[in-house]
This record gives sequence, structure tokens and C-alpha cells, in this order.
Amino acid sequence: MSVATDREPAATLAPRRKRRSPMPYWLLIPAIAILVIGTGYPTVWQLTNSFREYGLRQQFGTPAPWVWFENYTTLLTDGQFWAVVLRSLIFCAVTAAMTLVIGLGIALLMTAVGRTVRLMLQISMLLAWAMPVVASMTVWTWLFDRRRGVVNYVLDKIPGVDMYRFNWLAEPFTFFMVASIIVIWMSVPFVAFSLYAGLTQVPEEVLEAADLDGATGGQRLRLIIVPIIRPVMSIVLLLQIIWDLRVFTQITILQDAGSSATEFDLLGTYIFKLGTGSQHFGMAAAASVVVLIITIIVSGGYVWRIMKEDSK
Amino acid sequence: MKKTMVGIAAFATAGALVLAGCSSSDNETTAGPTEPGASAEGQNITLWVMGGDTPDALREYLTTEYAAATGGTLTIEQQDWGDALSKLTTALPDSENTPDVTEIGNTWSPTFTTVGAFSDISDMYAELGGDSLLKSFVDVGVVDGKNYALPYYFGSRYNFYRKDIYEAAGVSVPTTLQEFSDVTKQLTSADMSGFYLGGSDWRNGISWIFANGGELAVQGDDGAWVSTLSDANSIKGLTMLQDLYTNSSHAPVGEFDSTPWVNINDNESTGKPEAATIIAPGWAHWSIGDPGENEAGDPINTWNDEKNGAFVLPGVDGGVAPVFAGGSNIAISAASPNQEGARELMKIIFSPEYQQMLGENGLGPANLDYADALGDDQFAEALRTSAASSKLTPAAPGWAAVEGSGLLEEFFGKVNAGGDIAALAAEYDEKISALLNG
Repeated sequence: MSVATDREPAATLAPRRKRRSPMPYWLLIPAIAILVIGTGYPTVWQLTNSFREYGLRQQFGTPAPWVWFENYTTLLTDGQFWAVVLRSLIFCAVTAAMTLVIGLGIALLMTAVGRTVRLMLQISMLLAWAMPVVASMTVWTWLFDRRRGVVNYVLDKIPGVDMYRFNWLAEPFTFFMVASIIVIWMSVPFVAFSLYAGLTQVPEEVLEAADLDGATGGQRLRLIIVPIIRPVMSIVLLLQIIWDLRVFTQITILQDAGSSATEFDLLGTYIFKLGTGSQHFGMAAAASVVVLIITIIVSGGYVWRIMKEDSK
Repeated sequence: MKKTMVGIAAFATAGALVLAGCSSSDNETTAGPTEPGASAEGQNITLWVMGGDTPDALREYLTTEYAAATGGTLTIEQQDWGDALSKLTTALPDSENTPDVTEIGNTWSPTFTTVGAFSDISDMYAELGGDSLLKSFVDVGVVDGKNYALPYYFGSRYNFYRKDIYEAAGVSVPTTLQEFSDVTKQLTSADMSGFYLGGSDWRNGISWIFANGGELAVQGDDGAWVSTLSDANSIKGLTMLQDLYTNSSHAPVGEFDSTPWVNINDNESTGKPEAATIIAPGWAHWSIGDPGENEAGDPINTWNDEKNGAFVLPGVDGGVAPVFAGGSNIAISAASPNQEGARELMKIIFSPEYQQMLGENGLGPANLDYADALGDDQFAEALRTSAASSKLTPAAPGWAAVEGSGLLEEFFGKVNAGGDIAALAAEYDEKISALLNG
């Protein structure tokens, strides 16, 4: 496990308490300052205002009265909110899992193919990764356009398939299918590159030995490759879960092209509508805090495992 | 150690990213009332206009006249209609960033005037046109008898139709609302809508409620606003609309206020239009007609009297249906430190010259004394006729929140998808009433 051995010296140095320089702490200050200013301030604002009645009047200077948990009770007893939460969790789980599987597939493909093909793969993935969201979203909405979209055109050519003017964005199921495809498309390059980097750490000899012992491809992947690259996979999956839970831009743009009804909301667009749309800033703050708690619950166990693995 | 840091970093990032979605700046309204005797001399001010509705010539006129009157600079910034509501919400209370004068959607006026976003300009009301100003627009800018926002321009919606298609089908322009449903149903085929109307397009859909005597919301004796979609007349209108949409429109249920004129022009791949009839704001006629190219080689459409026509949406018993009164109001930001300059700009906007220019550019002038400037072509005629019986959305303090919430799009979309009207109306009455009172 070369990934782990890299860290050995640092881990053994600490307990000896030898010549501890204050330098690392000084170097941490800028990062912490940015976190405190960038994250701390909004977090405090958010927490405070989630306990207050904060609407347009308050935005224009009327004092905001404290209502304590009223925003939270309203929110948590609202079936619609829970529907959005559930939808977001399912969307997040499916999308993150698919991204990881496809990303791993492409990473394995990159180790298997020759240099030229690999380069082509890498360049096309970099382009997909570097594409501005709004630009690629425009293309995606054109692809799935009901009247002139390439997707409908191609599918309609298949004998027996009637996709003439099929409206992908009219039903929540197909809407989120399209959204999921787009999000996966946008996230796969990052996952594939990270996992590919991990794969280069898998020792050739171990694989060869397994091969000689008669291990099949599937067994090698499951029993050797995946355990070795697990730390990278954990981090990548964690990031995907967080990203997919807060997905906003893609959903908003698809809503503009399709329907903006509540059935098509995920947490991001729901909070936006609640705050910026309906000017219920206090409620939106409460919703954001709830989402923060959900994120902590969903990813907390994960972070804990990563930290425990680290201290081994 | 490193992994722990990554874990912590990931965690912190999670928090930051989730929270970033919904922050808003704190603020204090600082600008007090203007000191008497303060002068507009040399004040540099900013005007926000919404979308591209105000033509360049008019913008230049304002800048030049303002410089001549005060010696200061007028900066005109254009905001997109789409995010204007959120920009106004954050900028108006902040004296550092507020526009001094801003155009606002007429239906948002009650919301912003109620919370005190604008300066009281009652003392200028008579000077700026007084009773000659479009009354329904003036009314939405009044709180406690004081004027805060005044009309900027109006433009109401009417129908555009394809004469050639109507003639080929042997039908004539409908004269009652029921006839409108029948005619457009007859014109509808597998690949053409008799009347192309987005399922969630509430701004046009409400005409059917209004035409049947319904209201979106009414104010009770206690001053509280209540949503009235369940009112018998509203239900009658919604039933008619659902029937019309189901039989005559192929537009998706989720489509809202969009660009319907692309559907009435010949489609470049099929050579046929997608729709025989549409409803759109008057200025849409610039985008309707035979496809072609301009000198620069860009595609344009040229109105063709042989093929294109306009008519006003008929009422239930003939006559004219009350359509949504589109347009804008204009107001001075209460937080602006340049009150005098802003007032000077208002005088220029309401001057006879500028009102005349609005009309000449096809925008209904705020001061109806200059309505003749619109000319007397068929578009001006249709604009005047439809505007005369047009109707505004309720002047409830929370109306902007209702629009911002997207509930109306959702409601009309569900009705047009074939939902149970009475049940939906009751459900959305409850949701909308909760927002109406701000």
C-alpha cells in the first residue's frame, strides 16, 4: 500500500515531539481565515436568521422578530419538504453511484488501452470537465428538445420505437433521468482521473501473481484492485455525494426548459424558490440548516470511517 | 494526518457549499428624507431598465437631457426580467448599490411600495401628469393615499393569427370566447396547434378567469387578501381554459411565458407554422412574418398582411376580454442618496417629448394624453382596444412573492394537464393566500 506508506514518516514523527516547528500552523492561517470569512459568516447569518421571521420587510429595515423554532416546525411538518428531501437523496445516491461505476470503468479502460487511445480519452474527458455548465446545459437541452432534439430523432429511427416529440422534461421520472445523465456526464472525468491515478499505484507484480494463481478479471478487480484504491474511491465518492446533494444549476436550467413545478425540485432549487422566489429568507435559512444536518448525517459516517482508517 | 485534514476539508466544504446557496446581505436603510433645498446639480445617478423594452434612442434622450438639466451623468443599466426580482430585493435597501430610479414590473409595485422601498413622490404627482396617467398602474403604486410608483409604459396582449390558414379552413376570426375555442379546435391538427398556449403560461391563462368575471384574489373587509381561484366564476374560466388547452394546444404543460411567435412563423425545416393563433404582447409583431434575411445575413421575419393578422381576444358575450395588462412602473429608490437628481430624471421621463417618444416606439405612454403617438396602424388599434379593458394582477403586498414562488405556473400547468379543477383551486388558494399578505 504505497499510498499509506507515504504517510508513515509524518505519523511516526508526531509522537516523538521532536523539534516541532510552529511553521505549519502559520501556513494554515490563510486557509483558516478564508474558511472563517467565507463559510463562517454565512453560517452564522444562516443560523441566526433561521430562528427569526425574515421576509422582504426585514430586508428593507423592519426589525426581524425572533420566532425560535417556528420556521423549523413549519418546515418539518410540511410533507412537500420531505418529498423534496427524499427525492434529493435518491437522486444523489443513484447519480453518485453511477458516476463512480462509470468512472471506475473508464479508469480501468485507460490502464488497458495504448497510449494514443488513452490520450484521446483524456483529452475528451478534460474538455467535458472544463466546459462551462451553462454552455453544456444549453447543448444538453437541445439534445433532449422534444421537437428537434437529436435524442428523439435517433430513437425514433429505431423500428417499433415511437419517440416523435416525446417530452423528456414533462414527467418527473424522465426529467430526473435526463438530469442524472447530465450530472454524471459532468462528474465522470474527475472520478475517472482520480481513480486512474489510484490505479497506477496498484503494483504490477501483485496482479501478475494473481493471474498465475488463476484469478479471473472480476476476482482481481474485486479482491485486489478495489481494496488497494479504496482510499481514493472513498474520497471521490464522498465528494460526489456532497456535490450531487447540492446540485442546482443543472436543475434550474432544465426547469427553464421544462417545468418549474415543485415535483421537479431538488433541495437546491427548493431553497432558492423559498428564499429568493417567495422572499421567505428565514424559512430558507432554516431549510439550509436542515440540509446541512442531512449532509452531515449522510457524509458523517463516511468521514468518520476515512479518519479511522487513517489513524490505523 | 493528511487524510484527517482531507476529511475535515471535505466536511467544511460540504458546509460551505450547502450554505452558499442561500445567503443574502445584511443591510440598513440609511437614506433619510431629503433635506429641503438640496440640489440636483451635478448628481450622478443610475437608472435600471428591465429587459430591452426601452429602445436605444430613448435611452440616449434621457442621458442627454439629464446632463443638460443637472450637469450630472445618468448611467442606464439594463437588468434581465428573469432575475430582476432578486436583484431589486438585494440592491434596493442598500444605499451603496441601489439604483436611484428603477423600472419595475407593474405587478411587483404593491410589494415594494408596501415595504417602503420607494420615495414618496405625491408632491410631484400633478406635475408629472396627474389624472392623465394610466390609473390602474398608478393605483398599484399607492400606499395610504401616497404615490410611490408611477406608470412607465403599458402594452397589453392580443392575438396574432395566420390569415392563410384561417382562410384555407374556411373559418373567420372568432367574436366570442367560446367561438375562439371552437375555431382553434377546428384548426388543430396532429402537427399544428389551433392556438399555441403554454400549459403553465398563467399571464395569458388568467384572461379566461377575468373574462368569466373571476378574480385571482380579493381583499376582505379586514384588509387581508384571499386567493379566489375557487370562486365560481374563476372555476368557470379555468374549465374553459382547460378545454381550450386540451383541444387546441400542443404546447407542453410545463411551458410558461415563452416566445410563442416562433410557432406562428413558418418553420424552416417543415415550411409550415406550428400554430395558427398565438397570444403575445403587441411588440411581438416585429418578430412575426415571412422568414428571410436582413442585409447582414441574419434571419429576420417580415410582417406580411396577406398571411399575418391581429385580433383582440373576444369576451364571453362578444366584445373584448380583459387581458393581462403588461407594462412597467417607475419609482425612486428610498435608499438613494441622490433624491434630487432622481426627481429631475422623473420630470424628464414624464415630459411631453419623452411620452411622445414612447408612443412612437410602440410602447403605451404612461400619460394617456399622448396615446395618439402610437399611430393608427392595426397594431396600435389592437393595443388600444385590448389595453382599454385590460386588468392587473391583485395589488396585494405579497404579490411579488406569489409570482416569485412559481405557484401560478404550477397551478395552471396542473389544470391544463387535465387535473381536477376544484380540488387544485382549493389547494392553491391555500398556498397563495399564505403569501398574499406579505
